[in-house]
Amino acid sequence: MTPMSTLSPPKAPPVPDWSRLVADSIVQHGAWHTYMKLVEARGRYPDDLSRLGYTEILRNMIVRDFLHHPKGMQAMPKLTPEFLSNFDRFNLTAQEGYLVSLIDGRLDLQKLLLLSPFDHFTTLFNLAKLQHERAITVPQ
Amino acid sequence: MSANSGRYPISERLKTPIAIVSERGAVEWSNAAFEATFGDDAGGWLTDASRAVAGESGWLQGFFVDADELRSIDVDIEGRTYRIDKIMHVDDYDSPSVALWFEDVTRQREAEQAKSDFTAQIVHDLRGPLSGIQGTLEFVLSQEGTKLDPLNSDLLTEAKRESERMMGLINEIMDFSKIQSGSFAVEQEPVRVAGLLKRAVRSLQSVASRDEVFLLSAHGRDVPQIIGSVEKLTQAVINLISNSLKFTPKKGLISVGAQILRKGDVAEAIVITVTDSGMGIKATELQQIWDKYKQSGNKSLRGGGGTGLGLYIVKQVVEAHGGEVTVASVEGVGTSMVLKLPVKRAA
Repeated sequence: MTPMSTLSPPKAPPVPDWSRLVADSIVQHGAWHTYMKLVEARGRYPDDLSRLGYTEILRNMIVRDFLHHPKGMQAMPKLTPEFLSNFDRFNLTAQEGYLVSLIDGRLDLQKLLLLSPFDHFTTLFNLAKLQHERAITVPQ
Repeated sequence: MSANSGRYPISERLKTPIAIVSERGAVEWSNAAFEATFGDDAGGWLTDASRAVAGESGWLQGFFVDADELRSIDVDIEGRTYRIDKIMHVDDYDSPSVALWFEDVTRQREAEQAKSDFTAQIVHDLRGPLSGIQGTLEFVLSQEGTKLDPLNSDLLTEAKRESERMMGLINEIMDFSKIQSGSFAVEQEPVRVAGLLKRAVRSLQSVASRDEVFLLSAHGRDVPQIIGSVEKLTQAVINLISNSLKFTPKKGLISVGAQILRKGDVAEAIVITVTDSGMGIKATELQQIWDKYKQSGNKSLRGGGGTGLGLYIVKQVVEAHGGEVTVASVEGVGTSMVLKLPVKRAA
């Protein structure tokens, strides 16, 4: 049996060089993959404020790209045929489920933001996620 | 001293007072400069400094908390101010001891105070007339019946904008002056963080629209209250958003968020983030951005330099609330300023 005095307290893992890792990952795998990796890293680095900051940079990047739609706030999201025929496949969160219930192909982003009970950024992020998962499409 | 005479010959001859002091405040060894400065009275105040009085630790105790920490503290002794630095821990005596270096900083402190008083007076004198100019411009621009041709209207609007910028710079200098003089007190009032962020975003929404930048809130309503200064924290968030606006191009996005850090079911801290899709900061500059007078190597997209004090003041405000700051940045992608504030509860 190991004597108590030789046991060392658990050490926090060394903090990664997030700046370089995130920059490389965005170039190689894109914003969504990098975002998901940062979310996964929360378990290993729960108190790392830098990780939290990089996660926000990715969320910001994703929403900014979503807003770059040629029609801007007048863009009208609609549900994809895949979602309508096979929605059980999509593992939606409560917020995403609520937003999906608002999408009828006639409400543009401006109106969806007004109707959504969530803050504008969260609403846009969830719509971008639904688009990434091909539950909705935003025709040009 | 005499028992140890000749033990540390170099330290003995230095003109700065040095002493080896035990945990209980006993002088184990001292150089001639120490004896000439403090005489035989040192034992009294050193013993006092080794005791906790009314629940407050004596300053000497702080030097024994961590053997590896190089601590420095300013202490008033017999009408003068000394900066006391720990040189090292000493194990040569019966009880744990530290070698301390006593630098007389009285004149330095007086000069700092004089500089701070002067700055406060200048700032006060500048704010008066500038407030008058701002009020006049606002009055002229708000008169619906006034027939201003477009050129004059644009010129007056630009003058108003620049006067607001100048007021911001003056306020930064005033806050900096208070920090330097040690009179930067933080109020202890309940702060509704969600409302604070909403106000900060609202106050810069028109600037963001003018610059064609999206400025969005990214937080729910269920952010817990903290204890602190509504005014100083609001100003800190406004400083961060203003900073992001300088470096975020047209069609860019700035988001202002708040998240709760929990330990189990208990909210332990609130993390406020101001994130932009600007040009980012070089990795080599990341650690210095909170320093005073430090400005990013990147050029502002919208002109108008600053004092280089904005982020330094933000850091001081957050630390005065018991919090911490950090920054994340990816060049060409964006930057996120992260403020962590503890959730304090009423006792």
